[in-house]
Amino acid sequence: MEQRLREKSLLNEAASALKRSKADYGDVRWVNETHEMLVVQNGAVGHIGTAVSVGCAVRALVGGAWGFSSSSRMTKEGLKSTAAQAVAMAKACAQVNGERVAFPASAPQRGSYRTPVQVDPFSVGIDRKLDYLFWANRELRDHPNIKTATTALEFFKTEKLFVSTEGSQIHQEIIESGASMEAIAEMDDEVQQRSYPAGNGACLAQAGYEYVKALDLVGQASRVRQEAVVLLRARECPSAITTVILMPDQMALQLHESCGHPVELDRVLGQELSFAGGSFLDPEKSGKFRYGSKRMNVTADAQCAQGVGTFGYDDEGVPAQTTPIVREGIFLGYLSSRESAARIRQNSSGAMRADGWNAMPLIRMTNVNLEPGEGSLKDLIADTRNGILMATNKSWSIDDLRLNFQFGTEIAWEIKKGRLGQPFKNPVYTGITPKFWGNLSGVAGPKEWTLYGVHNCGKGEPVQTMHTGHGSSPARFEKVQVGRLAYRQAGGRR
Amino acid sequence: MSSRRLLELLERAVRRSPADQTLMACERGIRTTLRFSHQRIHQNFHSENIDVWIKVICNGCVGVATTNSLDAAALRKATEAAIATAKTGRRKRGNLLPDPGKKTPARLTTYIPKTARQDVGDTTRAIAKAWQRAERLKYNLAGSFHSGHDELAVAGSNGIARYQPFTTAGIKVIAAAGKASGYSASVHRDIGRIDIQETTGRALALAEQNRRPRDVPVGVYDCILEPEAVAELLEWLGYIGLGAKSLYEKTSFLSGRAGDRIMGNNITLSDDAGHPEGLQVPFDYEGVAKQRVVLIERGAALGVVYDTTYGKIYRRESTGHGAPYDDTEGPLPMHLTLAAGSAPRSQMERLLGNGLVVTRFHYVNGLLGTRQALMTGLTRDGTFLVKKGRRAGSVKNLRFTESILEAFSRVAEISKERRLVADPTSGLQSCLAPALLIRGVHFTGKTQ
Repeated sequence: MEQRLREKSLLNEAASALKRSKADYGDVRWVNETHEMLVVQNGAVGHIGTAVSVGCAVRALVGGAWGFSSSSRMTKEGLKSTAAQAVAMAKACAQVNGERVAFPASAPQRGSYRTPVQVDPFSVGIDRKLDYLFWANRELRDHPNIKTATTALEFFKTEKLFVSTEGSQIHQEIIESGASMEAIAEMDDEVQQRSYPAGNGACLAQAGYEYVKALDLVGQASRVRQEAVVLLRARECPSAITTVILMPDQMALQLHESCGHPVELDRVLGQELSFAGGSFLDPEKSGKFRYGSKRMNVTADAQCAQGVGTFGYDDEGVPAQTTPIVREGIFLGYLSSRESAARIRQNSSGAMRADGWNAMPLIRMTNVNLEPGEGSLKDLIADTRNGILMATNKSWSIDDLRLNFQFGTEIAWEIKKGRLGQPFKNPVYTGITPKFWGNLSGVAGPKEWTLYGVHNCGKGEPVQTMHTGHGSSPARFEKVQVGRLAYRQAGGRR
Repeated sequence: MSSRRLLELLERAVRRSPADQTLMACERGIRTTLRFSHQRIHQNFHSENIDVWIKVICNGCVGVATTNSLDAAALRKATEAAIATAKTGRRKRGNLLPDPGKKTPARLTTYIPKTARQDVGDTTRAIAKAWQRAERLKYNLAGSFHSGHDELAVAGSNGIARYQPFTTAGIKVIAAAGKASGYSASVHRDIGRIDIQETTGRALALAEQNRRPRDVPVGVYDCILEPEAVAELLEWLGYIGLGAKSLYEKTSFLSGRAGDRIMGNNITLSDDAGHPEGLQVPFDYEGVAKQRVVLIERGAALGVVYDTTYGKIYRRESTGHGAPYDDTEGPLPMHLTLAAGSAPRSQMERLLGNGLVVTRFHYVNGLLGTRQALMTGLTRDGTFLVKKGRRAGSVKNLRFTESILEAFSRVAEISKERRLVADPTSGLQSCLAPALLIRGVHFTGKTQ
């Protein structure tokens, strides 16, 4: 807290103003974000840009109701007005709300957190970053069928100060680095794509420039290019009920959609009904409900090294925690906030985060990970008589209770008599969450456990975009409905 | 609202920029959002939003920077950052500012003072009244209310100087009880046109019809898609295929098919930011006047939307679809307008005969196969069975997986009424959609 003395002083004054306004609780959060993005497409720079956004948020609990206000005016008068606005908003709601917010007191937190980095990405020159992207881009488009080759780097630095009326004083500085590479191949009317290290844009990690170098875009480019070209002549993924092995870059989305979102307690309590929907995991299911097979162990870990859901404290001052979500297939716990946890007589799991200074904190995923099992991917394949291995997310969709899902991946391979065979294009699989996880028949060991950083988790109104982490080893599921052609075989006319 | 003061600030900053050419855009506003559920406003916020995008060109190379402060020092610092990037000499794509003399933006009334001055107490009381009505019918009312005002200003060393204030208000409501749910929403620039009680009444009426949804087998059904469901498909079509970037990257369903018939000849789709029934916007973030662009005419692929950068690549003029300068999605249609048909909506279920009515979709994803516009998603908040032209109860939510090009080739009827569908938290985008009667929609899964 030695840093940012001016901002700290302003925040403390705002917290004092909240106390004088007889707020039951209040917090003041200052955020300074820097985002840098570089894109190279088909051998030319598509974008280089830096964005800076600085401002302050005030949250007040008055008369049992919440009020929130934010402003970029970092002056004494500006913050005083922001605090007064938050109090006025809370009072307007207190007059109509049917019940008061239960918000148990918490011991003040004083501390700091900083991402451990070897190389600050903002200290690396643009030329060096572009040279890396150009080299990878050249390798990626080295085939006449590759029509679009895109390589990109992205870096975030987020500095936060948090002060509360309970006496908390927290300083955090989080650095994230990410990269992406995508090859789009075309032949006649066929278009196929391959991406690395994940599908749908940058894969982020809470780390420095060393992370994007270690991804080795240049070394991976020829494989990505070749696979994109091979897919142009590949067979359509057959439609069948079969055994599926999902690689970690698809497991990240499977975990995100079918484990991460359903355990967000605000969804369970109906607070996201009008936008993202609810959850099938009502509180009566806690500790009893069979979510999956005994091999399913899921943890929400806000302390995971390099996870983009890692921090020292959440945005209401709760220290980072490691929360068991599923153990041996039984559903155990939620991602929660101080308020929502109190509603089910538990303590907060420390999952409140906002995507900037002008956004209200919501319950967000931290790093929702599938714990590793044993053996290797090779063992899983060898132990599979017939099946399909799928990799790299391409599309995703799940219902408003998080039960019926359908995912598409960029590529699949046939598994025949325990060996990998021909590639398939346009793979899709679908299922119902607990039934699907109930058929989890194998998780590879820790050596192949990989952590991915999802950059585009949307939630809230207005939509907030959050970074969430998901780690997994390759995992095998039995009796899965696969095949893109399922839509043509949907049954007879009704 | 400080009228044109924002524009003057930008013009001054542009004049001070030492770059060869400079373009600045600023969007700022104040918005109030109330989110509620179970007779409680659980989120209630007043937030200030401000972004200033700066694009400079030095020796033919481009630099971009963004800040959220209008202080002279912050603008100078961001301009210097953009210039430093440009001077690396690495980015040439987009090294052109729009021609200010080409077209003048339309004069539009997009700012309604009453919306900007809305008292939060009036709103909370109106919402509480809606709760009471829902409670009497034993429904939980979950939703959000939004009102706010914004300004968009663009100034450039090329002489461009644009300013427009906006207001937007809207409410979104879900009435839910057990497996029953109903949805309704309303959005307008004028808060006086938002009737919270009427919108709530529509959601409650839908939920009442959806009390006991039953299981139906997956399969192929004739369907009426209500405007909210149609709008979601249109927005995905816009994202995956109707912007110049997807054409450039060869992923668009229009790629290599210009002039070809790709949908039924009753489908005409345009992007029209000046449509009087939409949320009108006169110019884009480059200050270029918004053009009405016909994208699909009588089923034939006609074109896509452009900004200055992609316009140069394709030797076309910008159509007024320039995005903020740090955006990497490229120009996208933001005001899709599907031409109305001749069928009164009230007659369409009779014309359907046997089939389903879909209120809206949830979590549509259009990335399955963008060349075919293959999409998947689920129905939500009211899916109704129609037998012999009459409603015969509601059904559980179903998943569709369908090529929208093929589905839009099987449109049998289009309603003459259209609805404005927009997220009120994003007042610069909207969609105007009719209801569609589509034969043979593929439903491939169902919820429990």
